[in-house]
Amino acid sequence: SLVILKDMGPRWKGKNAEAQALADPMSKIVSQLQSSLIQSDSRALLSGNDTRLEANSEQANLLIRSCFGQPIWHSMTADSDKQWFQLGLEEAFFMCYSLKCIKIVGEDNCPKNAEEVWHYMKSCTPSFPYLYKAYLHLRLKNWVVRPGLQYGGDFVAYRHHPSFVHSEYVVLVSSEENGDANGRLKVWSDLHCAVRLSGGVAKTLLVIHISEHGESDNSTSFLDGSSVDELTITRWSAEQSREDLRKTKGLPPTLLQASQHTSFARVTRVAKLLLVIAPTTTVRVAWGHP
Amino acid sequence: DEDNDSKVCLQDIDNEENYYESALLRKPQFRYLEEIGALCLVDDNDNPLCQREIYLKFMEQKIISWESYDAYKHLKSLGYIVGRHKFPWTLKNVYGTCESASSHDTTESNRLTETEYVNSLSEEFSNLQIRAAVPVFDVYLPNSKFKKSCPDELNFIVCLIRGNPPSVAEIRGLENHCSSIPLNFCHVDHGRVSFFSFAKVELPVLP
Repeated sequence: SLVILKDMGPRWKGKNAEAQALADPMSKIVSQLQSSLIQSDSRALLSGNDTRLEANSEQANLLIRSCFGQPIWHSMTADSDKQWFQLGLEEAFFMCYSLKCIKIVGEDNCPKNAEEVWHYMKSCTPSFPYLYKAYLHLRLKNWVVRPGLQYGGDFVAYRHHPSFVHSEYVVLVSSEENGDANGRLKVWSDLHCAVRLSGGVAKTLLVIHISEHGESDNSTSFLDGSSVDELTITRWSAEQSREDLRKTKGLPPTLLQASQHTSFARVTRVAKLLLVIAPTTTVRVAWGHP
Repeated sequence: DEDNDSKVCLQDIDNEENYYESALLRKPQFRYLEEIGALCLVDDNDNPLCQREIYLKFMEQKIISWESYDAYKHLKSLGYIVGRHKFPWTLKNVYGTCESASSHDTTESNRLTETEYVNSLSEEFSNLQIRAAVPVFDVYLPNSKFKKSCPDELNFIVCLIRGNPPSVAEIRGLENHCSSIPLNFCHVDHGRVSFFSFAKVELPVLP
């Protein structure tokens, strides 16, 4: 079959980026981070919507390279090489219960168990179980997952560190029940908006769809019980598809005969303008890729 | 075609009642119905009465939506070859009586079969109306040598969506129905035709 969709493969930044990324795989960076944090018995303080993690200079470097959290401030104490990082809910839960390299504690410095933290995070964000499931799904495949709010999504996904590569996907999380966790893509204006915005920043809209299979989202058992489907949504252009096909066949772009009239004649905006100026001229339109 | 249309017009112009109907017959939408094979019109105007009846019945029962006409027009104008989904191109095989009808006075058996045909079609379409996303067109790539009796490989199927965007469950259901043929989902808003492709993917596991 020859329906040709625009391939928005990875856009590496600079000549050596791809090679550098290959030489320094994300899985290895994460693994190093994991070891280092376990060694120092790291604890993250749960406070409001965030978790704060204290990191030494080696850990700070690894956190930045593996894209977890945001650096907030340097410690003013004697340990001047310590830096504090602010972790998002999904990031903290992932590091604690999937990577198992930090402990999440409250003000009392007592480690909290998974169920407690799950409930707490769900009370902060009701769709946390779905967001986390999607986050976990991508991180386990070694994709870098960052907040996607500025692109109108839940996350953005990168193949490696953002300094090496542009993100490829704007991620929206959806689910069957729960009235679709984030209420997105329920109306056409939203669908058009999401697709246009993603395309406008050279990304593909990726929907991560969670199927609950009857599992309640009230506990961590939701994670094992639910499954994930990935779906991309792109705008299909009949014109572009036809021109792509002509290109692959080695044919020139379509000639628009302004003098030709059929009951189904349809012209592009450019050709329309030219028709107004010179109605009997043959119009040749070159199709370029945006 | 144009000759036949004016023939019909001349025949009916005396009869005011029929004038409106013949005006309908000249509408591009009528040609659309013929082109996509929704009407059994292999031979145009051999039986104008039968055509009109079918057309009016279709209109009455809202079998054909004019949104699908917009989508059809859009694709046709770009050179794609568009047929009604799972609809036989010609009804010669399905329905041999069509071409043999040559006058206003159709035989009793012809009339019955045509009514049956329309009824069965309307039943099929009313079932489809219930669902929000309906496969409507089989589309083939532009090809000047296209033969209706021996069509090319099907390029994609257009699903027309009424109401809100389809849910993932609906998309999956349609994908299963259409097996491995790609789907393009079409939404028409104020005559503006948009196509979306919902593709199941699997992001690779990275190193």
